[in-house]
Amino acid sequence: MRFHAALIAIPALLLLALPLLAGSYQIYLVELILINVVAAIGLNLLTGNCGQISLCHASLIAIGAYGTALLTTGWGVTYIVALPAGVLLTTLLGASLSYPARRLSGLYLALVTLGFLEVVSIAIEEFPNFTGGVRGLKLPPPELAGWPLKAAGLYYFVLGVTALAICAGWNIRRSRYGRAFNAVRQSVIVAQSLAISPGRTKLIAFCFAAAFAGLAGGLFTAVVGFIDPTEFDISASLRQITFIVVGGLGSVLGSIVGASILTLLPEALRGANEYSDVAYGAILLATLVLAPKGLVGLAGSLLSRVNGKGPVP
Amino acid sequence: MTWRIGLQLALSGLSVGSIYAIIALALAIPYKASRVLNFAQGELVTLGAYIGLVLTSYGLPYAAMVPATLLIAAVFGLLIERLFIRPIIGAPEFTLVIATFAIGLIIRALIRIHWQDNNFFLPAPYAGPALAIGPLRVNPSYLVMIGTTAALVCLLALFFQRTKLGKAMRAAAVNQTGARLIGIRVGTVFGSAWALAAALGALAGLLLAPVVGINPELGHLVVKALVAAVIGGFGSLGGAVFGGLMLGILETYAGALFGAALKEIIPFALLIAFLLVRPQGLWGTALVRV
Repeated sequence: MRFHAALIAIPALLLLALPLLAGSYQIYLVELILINVVAAIGLNLLTGNCGQISLCHASLIAIGAYGTALLTTGWGVTYIVALPAGVLLTTLLGASLSYPARRLSGLYLALVTLGFLEVVSIAIEEFPNFTGGVRGLKLPPPELAGWPLKAAGLYYFVLGVTALAICAGWNIRRSRYGRAFNAVRQSVIVAQSLAISPGRTKLIAFCFAAAFAGLAGGLFTAVVGFIDPTEFDISASLRQITFIVVGGLGSVLGSIVGASILTLLPEALRGANEYSDVAYGAILLATLVLAPKGLVGLAGSLLSRVNGKGPVP
Repeated sequence: MTWRIGLQLALSGLSVGSIYAIIALALAIPYKASRVLNFAQGELVTLGAYIGLVLTSYGLPYAAMVPATLLIAAVFGLLIERLFIRPIIGAPEFTLVIATFAIGLIIRALIRIHWQDNNFFLPAPYAGPALAIGPLRVNPSYLVMIGTTAALVCLLALFFQRTKLGKAMRAAAVNQTGARLIGIRVGTVFGSAWALAAALGALAGLLLAPVVGINPELGHLVVKALVAAVIGGFGSLGGAVFGGLMLGILETYAGALFGAALKEIIPFALLIAFLLVRPQGLWGTALVRV
């Protein structure tokens, strides 16, 4: 128990003290990590827990980002209102995709979500008056009810929202919904016999994933200040999938670990940045083949071997 | 719209559609054999075009370059199957989908590292000014695309009906265990299906190169081929060809009548509509039981 408390407290203290310890670039990197953690938690609920393939997580992030951005720049809505509004918009669009698709799974769902990804990227490129098209959209720094959010303020805002999102992810996973997700993944028939409706459960999982993605997109606009469609293409979706596969499917900790390590990867490859897609692909492929349970699963089985309890089922 | 423009559009729709049809075939053949949908097929198209480019730059004449490219691509397909697909063949669907995506990502990124985002031109002996056939003006490249696809479909039909390997592939598609019991090497079937698919992809790349040029994003049109395969029904080779041609024509007419945005949207609207209403496509059987 004390071990677990330390496991949470030490990184939390480090994160809280970060503005005192690090330069602005490091803070920016940590903000990116936090955003990716938020998005990965959402995807992990849908893919890791509920077992549904989604290739359109990047477009849901894009919808959150563009929604928040257009509300602030176009309609002059303050950021703190635009952010939840963006989340709501993303959830609604995600629901309107997944409602008709709720009976699909596997390859079919992969194809539908791939189609959705294409439709969203075409929509962004074909309406340049709204979205800036391929040239992207530059955004003014966000403000919180009149107070500009910058440097440490922005960092603490992102950190706070991420902490809330992590708590939410944890609780969703342990709620009856989270248990229903796992049931649907493991056996649709068993789930049905326990009065869990697979269609409804998948719909809920998709909505949660969309909400987290929308939140990540809204935070992204504030941190980066510039969005363009190349940030949200199929490689971005695959990057999100890499986060959760490498971290560990179906575990909130896995999302956190995977997103943290792999967001830093392009930094580790500095000077050879064009290799980052190759590295992502190779790591993804290697993990799928060699360690399908991800880093968290690997650490779990190592720990239990040390403790002499045998492998965790 | 006069009938002349209508015909002209039909011809260019057919030529685009025949490219979709070839790639849709390249998706359907390994899917039938090994139940793996290859999301890296688009990158095999791109790779084929670049192999052609490299061979041409070594001074190989076109007539020798085409078979050499197809052969190299086939070896490449065989290698992918052997190294990456065979070890995970029984894995859950998620693993298979994401693994093939990852392979595609790696190929595309490597191509981009080596050639950057430049658009290369691959000369073809048949490319030239438009021919006048009756009242129509026809780009000879379009005729080559349509002719090649027609010939290819006939050859593939012969291959699957008459040759031993083709029959073995059909048998393995129907029942793997049964095929194994009567002495068919299912591993060989998988390998040859992937080799064939890679060669078909390379062929599509070579046909496209004189028209649109060669760049790392060439393979993006695999999503159109996926749509074609869904329309025709996965596992139905005739359906894949029909779906490709139909999509090409539909897209071309929609573009001419309603503008570019609709032309881009139509394939995905069709994809989503088909998957929701008739997931087995026009002819095929369902991919998985829902």
